Amino acid sequence: MFLAWQEIKKNKLRFTLITGILMLVSFLVFFLSGLATGLADLNREAVDKWEASAIILTEESDKSLYQSFMSTDQLKDVEAEKTAVLGQLNAIATNGDNKKNISLFGINKEEFLLPNVTEGKAFEKANEVVADDSLKDEGFDLGDTLSLSSSDQQLTIVGFTEQARFNAAPVLYASLETFHLVKFGEVADQKKDQINGIVVQDDSISNLTQNEELKAIEIESFIESLPGYTEQKLTLNFMIYFLFGISSIIVAFFLYVLTVQKISMFGVMKAQGISSSYLSRSVVAQTFILSFIGTVIGFALTLISGAFLPAAIPVSFDLTSMMLYGIILIIVAMVGAVFSVLTIVRIDPLKAIGG
Amino acid sequence: MMAVLELHQVKKSYGSGHTKVDALKETNFLADRGELIAIIGPSGSGKSTFLTIVGGLLSPTSGDVIINRQNLTDLNEKTRSQIRLKEIGFVLQASNLVPFLTVANQLKLLDKVKKGNISKSERNQLNEDLGIADLLMKYPSDLSGGQRQRVAIAKALYSNPSIILADEPTASLDSDRAYEVMELLQKVTKQKKTTTIVVTHDIRLVDFCDKVYKMTDGVLLALEKQDEKEINHIPQ
Ligand SMILES: Nc1ncnc2c1ncn2[C@@H]1O[C@H](COP(=O)(O)OP(=O)(O)OP(=O)(O)O)[C@@H](O)[C@H]1O
Ligand SMILES: [Mg+2]
Repeated sequence: MFLAWQEIKKNKLRFTLITGILMLVSFLVFFLSGLATGLADLNREAVDKWEASAIILTEESDKSLYQSFMSTDQLKDVEAEKTAVLGQLNAIATNGDNKKNISLFGINKEEFLLPNVTEGKAFEKANEVVADDSLKDEGFDLGDTLSLSSSDQQLTIVGFTEQARFNAAPVLYASLETFHLVKFGEVADQKKDQINGIVVQDDSISNLTQNEELKAIEIESFIESLPGYTEQKLTLNFMIYFLFGISSIIVAFFLYVLTVQKISMFGVMKAQGISSSYLSRSVVAQTFILSFIGTVIGFALTLISGAFLPAAIPVSFDLTSMMLYGIILIIVAMVGAVFSVLTIVRIDPLKAIGG
Repeated sequence: MMAVLELHQVKKSYGSGHTKVDALKETNFLADRGELIAIIGPSGSGKSTFLTIVGGLLSPTSGDVIINRQNLTDLNEKTRSQIRLKEIGFVLQASNLVPFLTVANQLKLLDKVKKGNISKSERNQLNEDLGIADLLMKYPSDLSGGQRQRVAIAKALYSNPSIILADEPTASLDSDRAYEVMELLQKVTKQKKTTTIVVTHDIRLVDFCDKVYKMTDGVLLALEKQDEKEINHIPQ
């Protein structure tokens, strides 16, 4: 550390530049990870709120809630500690001024799918809904009357709940009755046992149903099958991994150039009997110091800039995964020091003093 | 008295076949404590080859190098590097100080890799003797050539070595500075009872030395000190 730190102190500009680059890379990594988390939340928030272990859908729906049509009768084929029925449809809602894609959840008020109401009250009568409060940012309010694109029914927002988006659309929670009215209109009465799925809370996810037509799907797998979810995640993760690679190459390159400049100096030190391993440790320590400082500043910068971002950008910072990425960045940077270490080991002290 | 340094039938050739160069022909050599030895000779005659073999940086093609009864040829690089650290002080050209360390830190670095060979008061005395006590907080770039060379000597002496090897230590200095450096090496050799070998082109420096050897085409030949004529005929 002694050698490493003294050199950094003497050559501040040089090392500030490297740290600066590492800082920008880490900023980008943290920001992308925030974006990845944010986009994932956008898709799964409402599902996470269920705190469920599985969802039962029809076999032929291929894990798509929207394509799964079943009836409340099938509840008797499901054996679990707790069950909740769910009807779901997508629509465009407007309060006259503003339009928004929404997802309507038809639920039983007594079951666990009913979210915490943070403002207003829970739905009671037909056509009353509790809405995700992100709609407030879109210009919707308590008491607003909503017209839906696919139905003549008019809904009223009676309450708000937090963090309830499903596949990027804010959720409106309503009774099954409301759901049926919206979905089937005049024939709602004949279809009042129609639902899309049964959400299950149980310790075990095996043997939830013996019915051949039904299939229990683990929640995580259900989320991954949401349209676009996995693709989005893969794209962002790919970018993050790519950045890891880039930062390792940048660090390797810079350190290598610095090391090559110092070859004769290292040679003299080796001639004096200072071991390659001492010199190598010094380079690795230097990399650690630089990447640590760069990553910490990048981290701080991410949090600061995150606070000033417009709400429309879906970033959400998950500290654990940020820590993990930070540690990976530092390790990856240190891997980049390997070339320098190899160079140092290969330096022939003879070259430095011969002549 | 036991010789500090012995070379027995040491030979070094580079390359093979028709490109083969016998840089050092079969050489026997003995040096004792407290001896300041000069090696002179024309360029390409094998002086550096000799010095690097003595310093354990280069392995001879054949023969034995024995430092304080340890035969270097029997040892691996790691042990040899430890011997370099403990037994040998190299004085190299001034530019070979670590550019980003102050004088004090140059010495501290040696302390870190090889602990406690000389006491603190000895160290302060050394700094006084070498006239670098006032330079401790400076970087090499802020020192004159002579000052740098004195720091280099301080570094070489820091681990209290039994052998000091200097390859052209005065190359970058004017005559006055060069004499200063030689006086210093002479003083150290006598006080610390080191074996000091100085390779040089500059025959005026020979006056400071106890023994003079001449290298010609890989052959090392002892000269009598009084043989001034011989010395003066060394081609530059
Ligand atoms: N690594 C090497 N490979 C091949 N030949 C070498 C090598 N090093 C030195 N030689 C040759 O060995 C001979 C002795 O070289 P050496 O460096 O010992 O000379 P020197 O007396 O130190 O010369 P100078 O006074 O110019 O420093 C020269 O002919 C040189 O070309
Ligand atoms: Mg030479």
